[in-house]
Amino acid sequence: MWRVLVVEDDAGMREFFAASVARCADLKLAGSVGTLAEARAWLDDPGNILDVLLTDLGLPDGSGLELIRHCVALHPRCEPLVISMFGDEDNVLASIEAGALGYIHKDSTPDDIAQTILDMRGGASPISPMIARRVLSKYRSDRVDAADTPLRRADDAPPVDGDNSGAVRSHSLLSAREQEVLAYIARGFSYAEIAGLQGLSMHTVQSHIKNLYAKLSVHSRSEAVFEATRMGLI
Amino acid sequence: MSRLRCYRSFWIACWLLVLSLGVQAQALVLHRADVTIMLQGQSPRQTTASLPYLWDAQHRGQSGVAVFDMTFTLEAVPTDMYGLSIAKISNGYEIYLNDVLLDRFGDLSQHQVTDSKLPRWIAVRPDLLAKANRLRIVLRADAGRQGGLSTLTLGPQVVVESIHQPLWRWRVLGRLFVVVFSALIGVVGLVLWLTQPAVRPDGTWGRDPIYLYSALAESFWVFRVADSLMESAPLPLAWWSVASSVAVGAWGCLTVLFCVGVIAWRRPPRTLALRRYLLTLVVAGVPAGIAGWVYGVPWVLTGWYAVLALTFLVFAGYVLWHAVGRQAPQHSRLLAAAILANVAVGLLDLYRLRIEPSTVGSTGLYFSSVLFGLVTAAIVLTRFRAASAQVLELNASLAQRVAVKEAELARSYQRLAQSAQEQARSVERSRILRDMHDGVGSHISTAIRQLQSGKASDAEVLQTLRDSLDQLKLSIDAMTLAPGDITTLLANLRYRLEPRLKACGIELEWAVDGLAPLSRLDADAMRQLQFMLFEAISNVMQHARASRLRIEAQQTAQGVRIGVVDNGSGFDAAQTPRRGLRLMQERATSIGAQLQVHSRAGQTAIEIALA
Repeated sequence: MWRVLVVEDDAGMREFFAASVARCADLKLAGSVGTLAEARAWLDDPGNILDVLLTDLGLPDGSGLELIRHCVALHPRCEPLVISMFGDEDNVLASIEAGALGYIHKDSTPDDIAQTILDMRGGASPISPMIARRVLSKYRSDRVDAADTPLRRADDAPPVDGDNSGAVRSHSLLSAREQEVLAYIARGFSYAEIAGLQGLSMHTVQSHIKNLYAKLSVHSRSEAVFEATRMGLI
Repeated sequence: MSRLRCYRSFWIACWLLVLSLGVQAQALVLHRADVTIMLQGQSPRQTTASLPYLWDAQHRGQSGVAVFDMTFTLEAVPTDMYGLSIAKISNGYEIYLNDVLLDRFGDLSQHQVTDSKLPRWIAVRPDLLAKANRLRIVLRADAGRQGGLSTLTLGPQVVVESIHQPLWRWRVLGRLFVVVFSALIGVVGLVLWLTQPAVRPDGTWGRDPIYLYSALAESFWVFRVADSLMESAPLPLAWWSVASSVAVGAWGCLTVLFCVGVIAWRRPPRTLALRRYLLTLVVAGVPAGIAGWVYGVPWVLTGWYAVLALTFLVFAGYVLWHAVGRQAPQHSRLLAAAILANVAVGLLDLYRLRIEPSTVGSTGLYFSSVLFGLVTAAIVLTRFRAASAQVLELNASLAQRVAVKEAELARSYQRLAQSAQEQARSVERSRILRDMHDGVGSHISTAIRQLQSGKASDAEVLQTLRDSLDQLKLSIDAMTLAPGDITTLLANLRYRLEPRLKACGIELEWAVDGLAPLSRLDADAMRQLQFMLFEAISNVMQHARASRLRIEAQQTAQGVRIGVVDNGSGFDAAQTPRRGLRLMQERATSIGAQLQVHSRAGQTAIEIALA
């Protein structure tokens, strides 16, 4: 039984998500709130234990990203999921970097919602081809690129952090296998198809993505620390 | 020992001093003579005279020869070289010492040919001297040429040299300096007049006449002063002297014009009258000079000189009056000082040479005239400084103007960039509007129509709304699609539509190769392609009753080939033209793609070829 907190400002939507969670036998609705302040208060209560945070990004009194970071810091075992209207790459990537391990579309069916939560707890994170493409172009190492990456793009930028230390870190950030998986996803292949093509189990492919999400989050945090140190803030 | 040597040198020095004083005392100044005067056409006349003997004062308007006899005794017959210094001995002469000819100049019988104007230095061998000596000077004097004899200084060479040298310095070197200086100013003035046009005081642009006046005045003055150093003339002396007199007149008149230019006289009619008067004066100098020098009627020349002098005096008064005014033009005070000095020196010269001739000394005007040259130099320097300052100022204002222009340029560039940005924004806006019109807008209006009609089932309305949301998502995705990246476009389409395919029970077969980006497809074309593919897949889901859908994409020699193939019921593409197909065809045409539809029962293939 995973305990789930739903944070969504639209009351109708909140009830829909809460109901979707509640009706699933393997999930337990721990609470549902409409604002960042309420969610913080709930998380700050030491009596509350949480496994999954389901949060909208645009809360009336702040950003869901803030809540995700707060949650990750207070409840390390909790896995945040973002409720996204469009699953567009900017918002999803920002959520992942804040610590989210997946996202759910607002127009999903109740069963899909519960399934996504269970999949994530089971080790599978969803990823869209466009996000895969973005992650690849941002973190791809030259070694695999020079080998047989099945796809190339003219506008592939070098690693965004242009300094040498950044280049070294991006070398170690994505493993060769992860890059291969991402490249297939970017071409539209499903987890199952990739597993078939790569001779891996489906679970392995899925866990690659989830690991990748965790890495991106850690990376972005260390990046922030690195930046802050560089700028003399810490 | 050293002290002894010191004492000795002291005493030697004292002895030498005494000796030199003694020698000084040995210089002899002869200032009395027995004179025999032989005027032309008269019998000789004997008299005693004191030196200097000024011929013109004694024998006005007459030429003649005078013999000066002087005796002097020496305490001892000298052994060293002696020297004789004579400040003036004009106009021709022979010098005898104890009946030995020491020096001569010119022909004593020919008047008005040569003129000894310079001081004389004559070395005297000691063996020519005895204890009692007789010095005889035969002098030729020409009427009106300041003939005469100054006192004579005789003595040991060293002593007389020290007396003669300053004489030489003033009478010869000084005038030589004036010649060189005036020539320099003249040349510079001429060059300036030729090369430096400027704004004249009357506001017109052109050559500045004061440079020309200055240059001409200086050149006449060079002629005049050089003449005072020349003892023989290239012309017959009388005619040469006419030229010299006229040169003085010309110098004076040009100097007046120069002064008029400097004080910036702004009364052209009067200036013209003045110019005419001065020209007449100079021209009149020619007959006056000829009358005086050639025909021996000196009062005509004297009268002309008087008119000239009077003119200068009046003009000098005018300039002085002008210069003390509160709004005196630049340099007019300097000029007034120069004029004042020249008038004073000129009057003094006139007094000494013509009215009360007491000496045979030099003419001060030769030196005071240099002041005009200095005024010219001062004017040139001041103007140069002003011009430099103006150039600096101009440069500064130029830099400022350049800065202003640059700022203007930057502003207009900014406006241009802004308008380009607005243009891009408006293009983007119209693209998004069309997108909404074709996609979300049309779906939502369809949903409203369906609900209003009451005929549509919930499932149909739901379908329309889902289409609408899908279109919206695709539209948003299209914003971040890289232009020409068809691979990602297809992958994204699958990602968005697969849940619905699954819900329809359609199995998807994915055969998409990695495709090279097709750079000619811009954002709008990408969106059109997305629409076409969405339409094709949507048709399969809604109408085809298919169980399998295959999406293929290959790189071909020409470009990219995309296929959407289902195993549904199919339709007759030729006979039943559907609105969806027609729209697809339009979109394909608009992005330059080939669209082919092959349909039969069991297989419908829609093929899009992009080159």
